[in-house]
Order: sequence, then C-alpha cells, then structure tokens
Amino acid sequence: MKPALVCTDLVKRYGDRTVVDRVGFHIDEGEAYGLLGPNGAGKTTTISMLVGLLRPDGGTVTVGGVDVAADPIAAKRLIGYVPQDIALYPELTARENLRFFGRLYALPRRELAARIGEVLELVGLADRADDRVETYSGGMKRRTNIAVALLHRPRLLILDEPTVGVDPQSRVAILDNVERLVAEGMSLLYTSHYMEEVERVCTRVGIIDRGRLMADGSKRELVAELGGSDRVELVVDGDVEATAEKLRAVEGVSEAVVTGTSSVRLLATGGRHLLPTLIAAASGTAAVTGVEVVEPDLEAAFLHLTGSTLRD
Amino acid sequence: MRPLLVVGGRELAARLRDGTALLIALIAPIVLATMFGFALGGDDDPPLRATIGIVDHDGGEFPASVRREALNAEELRGVLTFKSYVDDTAARAAIDSGEAGAAIVFPAGFSASVGAGDGGEVTVLESADTPLAGVIARSMVDRISALVDARTLAVRASLRAGVPPEDVKLFVEENGAAGPSLELASDPVSGGAVDLAVYYGSGMAVMFAFFVVGLSARGLLTERQLGTLARMRAAPIPAWTAVAGKGAVGFLLALVSMCATWLSSELIFGASWGPPLGVLALILAHVFAATMIVMLVASGARTDAQADGYTLGVAFVFAFLGGSLVPVYNLPDFLQTVSLATPNGWVSAGLTELAAGGGLADVALPVAVVAGIGVVAGVLAVLRFRKGMLA
Ligand SMILES: Nc1ncnc2c1ncn2[C@@H]1O[C@H](COP(=O)(O)OP(=O)(O)O)[C@@H](O)[C@H]1O
Ligand SMILES: [Mg+2]
Repeated sequence: MKPALVCTDLVKRYGDRTVVDRVGFHIDEGEAYGLLGPNGAGKTTTISMLVGLLRPDGGTVTVGGVDVAADPIAAKRLIGYVPQDIALYPELTARENLRFFGRLYALPRRELAARIGEVLELVGLADRADDRVETYSGGMKRRTNIAVALLHRPRLLILDEPTVGVDPQSRVAILDNVERLVAEGMSLLYTSHYMEEVERVCTRVGIIDRGRLMADGSKRELVAELGGSDRVELVVDGDVEATAEKLRAVEGVSEAVVTGTSSVRLLATGGRHLLPTLIAAASGTAAVTGVEVVEPDLEAAFLHLTGSTLRD
Repeated sequence: MRPLLVVGGRELAARLRDGTALLIALIAPIVLATMFGFALGGDDDPPLRATIGIVDHDGGEFPASVRREALNAEELRGVLTFKSYVDDTAARAAIDSGEAGAAIVFPAGFSASVGAGDGGEVTVLESADTPLAGVIARSMVDRISALVDARTLAVRASLRAGVPPEDVKLFVEENGAAGPSLELASDPVSGGAVDLAVYYGSGMAVMFAFFVVGLSARGLLTERQLGTLARMRAAPIPAWTAVAGKGAVGFLLALVSMCATWLSSELIFGASWGPPLGVLALILAHVFAATMIVMLVASGARTDAQADGYTLGVAFVFAFLGGSLVPVYNLPDFLQTVSLATPNGWVSAGLTELAAGGGLADVALPVAVVAGIGVVAGVLAVLRFRKGMLA
C-alpha cells in the first residue's frame, strides 16, 4: 500500500530566515505520526506546505501517492486538515459551518446531511449543533473545528495543535476521538508541543526544532538514543543560571537547562546515585529543595537532541 | 463551477445578513443621488459654463445672428461665452489648451449661399474633455442646419414661383418663412447632457459601485483573518474559487446598485440617462472595472480594516478625479485630462454622449476603455494574489 504521506527536503524561507530547513518524513497507511516541537519550531509552516496552502521553496510532498504540487485537487481530497486556529464562521451554527465546508468537498446533499449528523455525534456536539458557533466554549469550537475535517472521510487527518486553549474535559474527548479514528484505520499527522499527547496518540514521533527535524522514530527508539540517561528535575533556591552552569560540568551530566525561575532540568547517567554529587555541586550558588528523577521520555529525548526544552 | 456557486452563495448570504450591503448598495447611493439632484439640479443658476469658439470665414450676416440669438437665449444666459478665432488651426489650439470648449466653423460664402437657396454646412470642432461645450455647439449646429434647410426650401419655392432672384431674400423674410429662429436655448441645458440630476445620479452610482465591491473585498480579508479562507484553500477546489466567488458577488451587487440608482434617478427626476442599452453597456463595463480595481487593492491588504481603507481611498480619489463628485468642466485643465485615466471619467463622457443623442455605437469607445481598465487591473490583481494571499 502507498504511504499516506511522504515529504522530502521541505524548505521554506522568509527573507533570509529559513523557517523550515530540509524537513522530510513519511507516514505509513494507518500510522499515527507526531511532530513534537516548541512554539516557533516550524510545525505549522511544515503542515501548510503539506496541505497545499503554502508553496515550498524546495522539496516535494506526496499524499497517498499523489504529488501535491502536480495535482493539488486530488491530493487535497485525501486530506482532512484541522488548522491550528479555529477556522469557522462565528455567526453560523456548527451545522451550517459543516454544510458549507462539506459542499466544498462535493458531498451530495442527502449524504452530506447524514454525514453531518454522524460527525456531530462523534465530537459530541449533536445537542448544540444548531447554536451559533460564537456562543460556544473554546473546547466546543475546537471540536467543531475538527469535525469539519472529518466530513469527507479523509485518508490522512492532519491536526495542528488541536488541544491548545481547551478545558481538560474537551482535551480528553479530543484525544479519545483521535485515538478512535486511528484505530479505525485513519492515518494521522499530529503536531503538538505537549509531550504527553504525542506519546499517547502517536506510534512514531518526529522531533522538530528551529525548522529542523532532529530525529524521528518510535518513542523507544528515540529514548534509546539517550544511552541510559535519566531526566532529572531539580528545584533550586538561588541563582539558577549559575547553578545550571555548574551542574553541566558534573561528570555524568550531559545536559543542563534552566526551565523556570527556580528549576533546572538535567540529563544524567547514574540517576539516583548521582544525586549527592549534584546537590554538592549546586551548593554555593543555590540550595536544592526538590529532586525528581524521571524515566527517559520524549522530553528527555528532546533535551538530548536539541539542548533545550519543549516549553518556553 | 459548483464550488464557485457554493462560495458565491455563502458570500451573498453573508452580505445580505450583515445589512450593510443594503445600505451601501441601495439606500445610500439612491438617497445621495436624490439629494444632490434636488439640491444642485434646480433650473436656476446652472453652475456650468461653456466657451464656444467661432471661426467666421463667412463674415456675413448669418454667423452674427447666430451669436446674437444664442446669447439672448434665456436658458443659456451666464452659461455661454463666444470667442472668435481666425482659422480652424487657431480654434483647435484653443480647444486643446482648454481656452474654448468647442468651436463652430462657418465656411466662406455661407450667408450668400444660404440666401441664394443653395444651402450650406457648418462644422463643429470639439473635445472629449469638455463635453458640455460640445453638446451646446452641436445643438446650435443642428438648429442652424434646420434654419438653413427651411430657408433653402423657401428660397427655392419662391424662385420657382417666379420671384426675381434679387428680391427673393426680402420676399422670404417678409412672408415669415424665415424658418425656425435660433431657439436652441431650452435644448442643451435641460436636455440630458447637462441635467445635473443625471450628472450627480450617475456620479453617485459610479462611486458607490466601488464601495459595494469593497464589501466583498473586505469579506475576503475577514475570511483570511478567520482562517476560513485557508480552509477553503485546503479544500479540493481550484485555487481561485474563493477570490472569484467573492468577486462575482461583488460584481453582481454593484450591478444591482448602479441599476437601482439609475432607475430611481429616472423615476424621481424624470430625466433620461439615455438609451437603455447604451447606459447598460456603460454600467456593465464600469462594474467590471470597479470589481477588478477593488480586487487589485484588496490583494495588497493584510486586514479587513486595511481593505476598507484602500477601497475608500480609491473610490474617493477616482470619484474626485473622474468627476463623479464635481463636474470635470469645473476643474483645471490637467485634472480634466486626468479624469480620463479613471473609469468614472469615461462613464461620465459616455453618458454625455448618450444624452447628446448618441446610441450604443457612440459609447463603444468609453465602454472599451473602461473594460480595458478592468482587464489591466484584473491582470495585476491576479499577479498580486499569486504572490501574496494565494501564494
Ligand atoms: N509569514 C511569515 N513570515 C515570516 N515568518 C514567519 C511566517 N510564518 C511563520 N514565520 C516564522 O516561522 C517560524 C515557525 O513558525 P510556525 O511554523 O508557526 O511554528 P510552530 O507551528 O511550530 O509554532 C516562527 O519563528 C515564525 O515566526
Ligand atoms: Mg503552530
């Protein structure tokens, strides 16, 4: 079977800034792929090129074997695109929004009406479907935003940060829905700067930072790159910058970054046994008031690959 | 085609829903055209002036009497000034420099020839920049021709009846066969060309066409900000659908707006804009040009407020330069020339042509020029959309 998506060497420049720099990855049919990176990493710009909204300065995209540049209309038929920001007519109801966009996908009237009902049911908005979108909560708008992309039963669903600004309940509902769709066989591209979401929903993850895809693979593969390092979170009282500087010099510590006004994150081998050394090293500039050693995860992989953190 | 209808339908619904379309497309232009018509279209004190040059190769009694009678005409008092020129070249130069608006040329021997019953023809020199003077001059010539025809007939009849040639002139005049006197007065001023109700009515219609299309241009930018434009562009439809759908609705609403203003002006003031086909051709061409021009400026806007600002600016500048607000013949010469760089100026010239008795064929040039302006603006808009919003 043809891969759901293949992109190679995508480049986008604004002026002399290269915002997306030779990004390439592929998503197999039925696979859930996550792009994990902080704000400004280039996720949205990459997606815009994948869905044909932005002309790349270099590189190619094929969706289900169809070249997006050569036959955009055929490629777009296969994609369900959920933009990062809510893209709905606030003065229309959810149903009216769905009807309008459904017609652009050439769904026959009768079938469309039935499909709108199904999709509203799926995202749990059936009872509010005839209220204007402007009266919705953030979470309801998000769910409507997603519903629009599902109408035409796309082969590849592309979600750009779908949980930004929603209440915890809606977030859970959205993630449940996405998992269900993937279980039913839909291919998925999911971007987020939330590690937990990507870990939960995606089987393969690409780590993107400053326009570059640093690595991609399963969580296990990415974590394996750490070579047994653990993520150590320290709460310190004192000069964080100076403390991080000192800790970086400690034997066994490969990375040390400031993550807040009183917190430092390390990548360190030896985990627990290293703690006394770390506390001793910090003394003089700060007192360590809290320590947490975390099993290697994507956050640790991100730190390892980029030397920085997912959240700013 | 189907996606275009879907997008157009949405745009139309949005325009009708927000209510401003009704205000800007129908109420405002009709009310303003009516107010201007009543305020400025009154019979007394017409604020128009025309200078007509006379080239008198004849030197006889006929040209002198034409001048005398025209100056005595009640409705032309204060409007008309005559200036004499030695020859056609001098008159042409005066017209080109704007010193005179039009000129009437009497050929040598004209009076004698008419007196002898041999008829005669006068010619008119005119300029597109000064349509009013042209209309008056032509109207005078029509009257002169009628007069000449009548006298020629009378003289011939008298000769045939045996009146000796040397007595014919006296005989004809004594018997009241002088034909119509030069009553050209009421014709040009209350006739279409200079009817201020028509002038301001069409000016408003022409200016508001920009505003009406501007609503759809603003809609395009609003959708860009809402993100729904991106959503449309991510749909499996031709890249142009969104812009074309909005443009088409803007075009249609502007067409309705202009036609409504036209109809209301004819109904309220009873003044005709000219033969309907000719008027319609001008309106269609203008609405097309206005649509393309507004799309061109919108293609460079980043926000809907910016699109509004650009549309407003273009509409007012064109309205002013093109004589939709102030009659061009009241403006300095160079501005009269500039008016022909705007569709407004050409539509106004076309309507003057129609009011002077022209038909569809006579507005072919204005219609072609206005449509041409539209094509140029359209091509530029396409290029700019491709580099910007639809890149
Ligand atoms: N139209 C644009 N012009 C200039 N810079 C842009 C433009 N769009 C995005 N950028 C820049 O490109 C970078 C990547 O942006 P984006 O793709 O939105 O990141 P992400 O979605 O990962 O948060 C950012 O630094 C952003 O400022
Ligand atoms: Mg983004």
